[in-house]
This record gives sequence, structure tokens and C-alpha cells, in this order.
Amino acid sequence: MALATRIEPSILHKLAKYAPESENSVWTEIRTKSLKELNSTAFPHRKIEEWIFTDLRPIVRTDFVPLEEAGTFPATDIEKYFIPESDRSRLVFINGKFHEKYSSIGGLGKGVTVGNLADHSDEEEVQKYLNNLVNYENDVFVQYNGLMFEDGAYIHLEKGAKAEAPIQVLNLYTDAKNPFVATPRMLVVSEEESDVTIIEDHIGLGENRYMTIPVCEVKVKERAHIHHVRIQRDSIDAIHVSRPIAYVEKNSEYHSYTITLGAKLTRNEPRVIQEDEEVDFTLDGLVLIDGEQIADTHSVMDHRFSHADSHQLHKVVVNGKAHSIFNGKIFVRRDAQKIDSFQENRNLLLSEDGLVNTKPQLEIFADDVLCSHGATIGQLDPEEVFYLQSRGMTEEKAKEVLTYAFALETIENVKVESVHKLLIDEVYRYTKANSESKVTV
Amino acid sequence: MLEIKDLHVEVEGEGIEILKGVNLTVNKGEIHAIMGPNGSGKSTLAKIVAGHPEYEVSKGDILYNGESILELDPDERAHAGVFLAFQYPVEVPGVTNNTLLRESYNTIAASRGREELDPLEFDDYLRDKLELVDMNPDFLERSVNAGFSGGEKKRNEIFQMAVLEPTLSLLDETDSGLDIDALRIVADGINKLHGEDDAVVLITHYQRLLNYIVPDHVHVMIGGKIVKSGGKELAIELEEKGYDWLETHATVNGEAK
Repeated sequence: MALATRIEPSILHKLAKYAPESENSVWTEIRTKSLKELNSTAFPHRKIEEWIFTDLRPIVRTDFVPLEEAGTFPATDIEKYFIPESDRSRLVFINGKFHEKYSSIGGLGKGVTVGNLADHSDEEEVQKYLNNLVNYENDVFVQYNGLMFEDGAYIHLEKGAKAEAPIQVLNLYTDAKNPFVATPRMLVVSEEESDVTIIEDHIGLGENRYMTIPVCEVKVKERAHIHHVRIQRDSIDAIHVSRPIAYVEKNSEYHSYTITLGAKLTRNEPRVIQEDEEVDFTLDGLVLIDGEQIADTHSVMDHRFSHADSHQLHKVVVNGKAHSIFNGKIFVRRDAQKIDSFQENRNLLLSEDGLVNTKPQLEIFADDVLCSHGATIGQLDPEEVFYLQSRGMTEEKAKEVLTYAFALETIENVKVESVHKLLIDEVYRYTKANSESKVTV
Repeated sequence: MLEIKDLHVEVEGEGIEILKGVNLTVNKGEIHAIMGPNGSGKSTLAKIVAGHPEYEVSKGDILYNGESILELDPDERAHAGVFLAFQYPVEVPGVTNNTLLRESYNTIAASRGREELDPLEFDDYLRDKLELVDMNPDFLERSVNAGFSGGEKKRNEIFQMAVLEPTLSLLDETDSGLDIDALRIVADGINKLHGEDDAVVLITHYQRLLNYIVPDHVHVMIGGKIVKSGGKELAIELEEKGYDWLETHATVNGEAK
């Protein structure tokens, strides 16, 4: 685009000079390209349609420093975040840096490679796909990640390989004296007929301000299956800007479930791109926010070929002065017939000061498709509250139970037992905290 | 047990009077039937006794065991032994019948000085009650009323009544939507649950239910008032004559049909 001959440098532009050096040609190439793009791309603002509802002040008004100058505290007591199923299939990153001593990668069986991207730079798949799948137009966050990342999660499944355990990609962010920016990276390549479950977890260990910009590229080849759970439990003052993108080939399945609990400001932009016929994909989300949190999901489900089943249930509970934004784009290209696409955004407003903006956006250029969509914003149904009260529950308890029930639906499909339980506990903690704060409904 | 005195009720904030001076006394061990055409205020009466927040009492009083319950929240009334079987039971996806009932049973038990049951004891307790309404134990693990047929929902209400053992049960059109077999099961359940120490108020459109549950008293409600009371033979008379012959007794209400 010709818009940026001279751009106003943002904090990300200013930090660009701290980009690390690399001797590796793959990394050098990505950095050169990213820097060039970053230098000609302006930081977004609210006059741009895609950012019209999103308050970017938490980023713009923070003086982020390079990670080395942030004065980070050590990460302690992190074992409690390890999920038992991934005892031997876990990658740990602290502020975006790979930590081998906490990681464990022996237990996945034949044909499964799991490790740090930087240690796998010679592999054909890394050279072929890294940074080539990510496709976000003029996106300073993707460019900044490309410029800065050194480590990252690499998951590769050979043809027919089935991962014997779920893989936990644990991203921890430490407390620090100054706000820093982390750039986690992930590449998943699932060859024909392979099968893997990935638990991607982002956890803030303190209550500090930091910004994390995870970029995740996923390639699901023919007849492969991926179950991808993404949990965002960043610090309450953090900024989380994520770009997970998946390409689905013929007869493949990709099911992703994103649970947003933490961060002051979240901007999540999941995308699924169909690359051939007969695919099945899910892009579900659960957002539980309170206080002054802002959680924004801009998703794309791009149907480019015939015969796709796609599903997006995005549920949001807003309390306090929190603000949820949802923009769900569903594209059905010309000649992409027999598409069965479902999208539903349901918002539960628990407080008078909460705010919800929702915009389902369907652009359909084929004529033989079934696309259902809906968006609702509501409070708890007084009739339901009365029903439970008439069975002896206090008003607070009734509201807690109903909020819990509302939120639970989205995590029912998370099939890793300990993660399912963990999410139930998180939902319970949220609803419990809310009933104790005696919000008005 | 229940004394309703000159009760006037409006929809909260709308100033439309729905009940226009209802008087009703229900004693321990009795079964009362309240009949009447659509829009006569029968369901409102049941809801207001259970404490529905949508309605406002503008005049009169409701005494339960000699004390006014107007200031009590719905859960406090439930703790005191009041139970409402809903005309349209609410679906609560995500909460199983088992969870709801254990929560309800234990809070009510605690406030009435009964012993709480642990999950295993409660399980046994539930199984006996399930038989009463001929329901499959699988049903305990299903979400409350979610995806239930109309008949299942009504049976679930009676099942809850069986579990919670109320002293005053208000059954709001529990018979509607039931086929003849389900009606018999539900009616048998109610008959078995009813004893000397509790009272039942049946709200119904049709005389049909009263073939199975024999009321001690029948009241006809038209236009927000009880216009006629009698014994069980009144229900049969209504079945033959309809409500028209009584409407002249009522202060005119456009809704009465």
C-alpha cells in the first residue's frame, strides 16, 4: 500500500533497533523482510475500520524497554503449571526464550519432532514454512515478531504419526521492573494422516505490564487432525496481541478453542484458511473479563473450496467496566459450494458499565451454501434466576450457577482431562469472584 | 397453613392490577384446586406466593404458618417449605439435575434443621424418589430440563417436589402437555407425596387432573378474584357448563373468556 511514505514511529518502531543478530540465513531473511515492512507500516489507530472499537492507549502510552533492560525477576514455582498428561511432551518459554531445563520432550513416540525452532533451522519444513504461512496485511505486530523472535516452539508430525500425549507449549512471563515486549513463536506442521493435541498456555507470573505478541503458524495436511487449545492467563496489566493462523488441506480437521481470562488488553486474530475440499474446522472462544479489561477477537474463516464444515461459538461474559469486541469474518469464495458454516457470538453482560461490540461479517460469493450466524447481548434471564431461587438458592448463588453454566458450554470440547478441569476451575473462580462482588444484574 | 387475605397484585412498575382482592385459606392436609379461564390470574397467584419479583403486592397479605411472607425472598420461602412447580420449567444447560437437587436439598435441609446428605447418601435417596415418577437414573446426569420434552419437564417438577419434601406445594398447570399415561404417573406421584402434614394447591384448566387427584376444595377464579368455591363436585359442574355462567359474578375483566 502506498499510504506510508513517512510514518509516525510507534514504540515498536523505536524498539526495532534492538533486533538481535543472527548467523542463520533463514532468520536473517525473515528479519530483513520484517524490518523493511515494519519501516513502511504505520501503527494502527481507531480511525481504521478494523480498530475502531479498540482502545490502544495501553500500548501507546507505555514506555516499553528491550527485554534485557526490563529488570526481570526469576521465574519461580513454575512446576504447578505443568499439566500431568504432558509430563514428557512439554516446551517451556520464559518471556519468549526457550528453557530446556524445564522442558521435556521424550514421550511422543515415532515420527514426532518437538523442540525449539532455533535448534531446527536446518529442517526442510522450517525453511519452507516459517514466516511463509503468516498472512496478516500490514500488521506491525507480525512484523515486529518476525524481526525479534529467536526461539519458538516447533512441532512436526511425520506422515501417519500420532502424538501419544498432548503437547504443552507453556509461555511464562515474569514480573519485571520495566515493561517489556515478548515475541513467542510457534510452527506446527502436521503431515498426512497425523494427529496431535496442543495446549498453548500463556501465563503471567506477576501483575506487571508487559506485551506479548505470539505468532503461530499451523499447517494441517491431508487427513491430519489437530486439536489446539489456547489459554490466555496473562498478568492483569499485560497486553496480549496474538496471530494464530492455520491452513487446512483436503480431508483435514483443525479444532481450536481459545480461552481468554487475563490481560488488560487482548487482541486475538485467529484465522483458518481452507486449502482444499472436505475440511472440518472449529474456532471457538470463551472470554471472561472484569474490571477494566478489553478483549478483542477479530477472526477470519476463509472458505476457498467446496465442502467445508466450520463452527465458531464465541462466548463472552463481561463484568465491571470491561469491554468485549468481536468481529467474525466468514468468507465463502466463488465456487466454494456446499459450505456448512455456523457462527454464534453470545455475550452475557453482568454489570451496567460493561460494554460489548459485536459484528458478524459474512461475505458470501457462492450460491449453494448454508451459513448461519447470530449475535446476542443479554443479561441473566430473571425467570431462570427465579427458578433457581424457588429451589432454595440465594439470588447470588443462582446468578453464579447461571453464569457458570453459560460459560461452560465452550470448554466442553476440550478433551485433555486436566486442562478441562483447570478451565472449569477458572470459570468457577471467575463466577465466584463476581457473585462476591455483588454486581447488579 | 396458608392464608391469603384481600390480596391485590400488580405487575411491578406497570400499575396493571392482576389480582383484585383474593381470599383463600388452605389448611394442613388439604388439597385445593384453583380453576378458571386463561388470564384469570391463577398462575399469578401461584407465583406471588412463591415470591416472583415481577409482581408487587399493593394491598392485602399472605400468611404462611401464621406469619406474613411478603418480605421473604423466593429462596427463603423455599427454605420455609414452599414449592412451586412451574407451568413452564426453565432450562438450565450446564447444571445437572443431580447438582441442582443436591444444592437445593442441602440448603433447605440446613435451614429446616434436617441433616444434610453426603453425595452417596443423596444418591440412594434420589433413586427412591425417581421410581415415584418413573424416571430413568440417567436423567440425573442430564442438564436441568435442557432438551426435555414437555412431559419430561413436568415430571421433573414433581420429581423435585418429591426430593425437596415441601409443606406447601403449588402446582401450576402441571397437567398441561401431559399425555394420559404421564398424567397418571404424575398424579400418582402427587397422591403418594401428599399427607396429613402438607397441603397442595393445584392450578388447572381442566377437570381431567381431578379425576386422579381428588381435591377437598375447588375454587373458580375469574378476573383476578375467586368468584365461587365449593367441593369436588364444582369441578364436574364446570366441566359441563364451562365458565360462562359464572362470569356475571365477576367484576368485569376484558381478558376473561
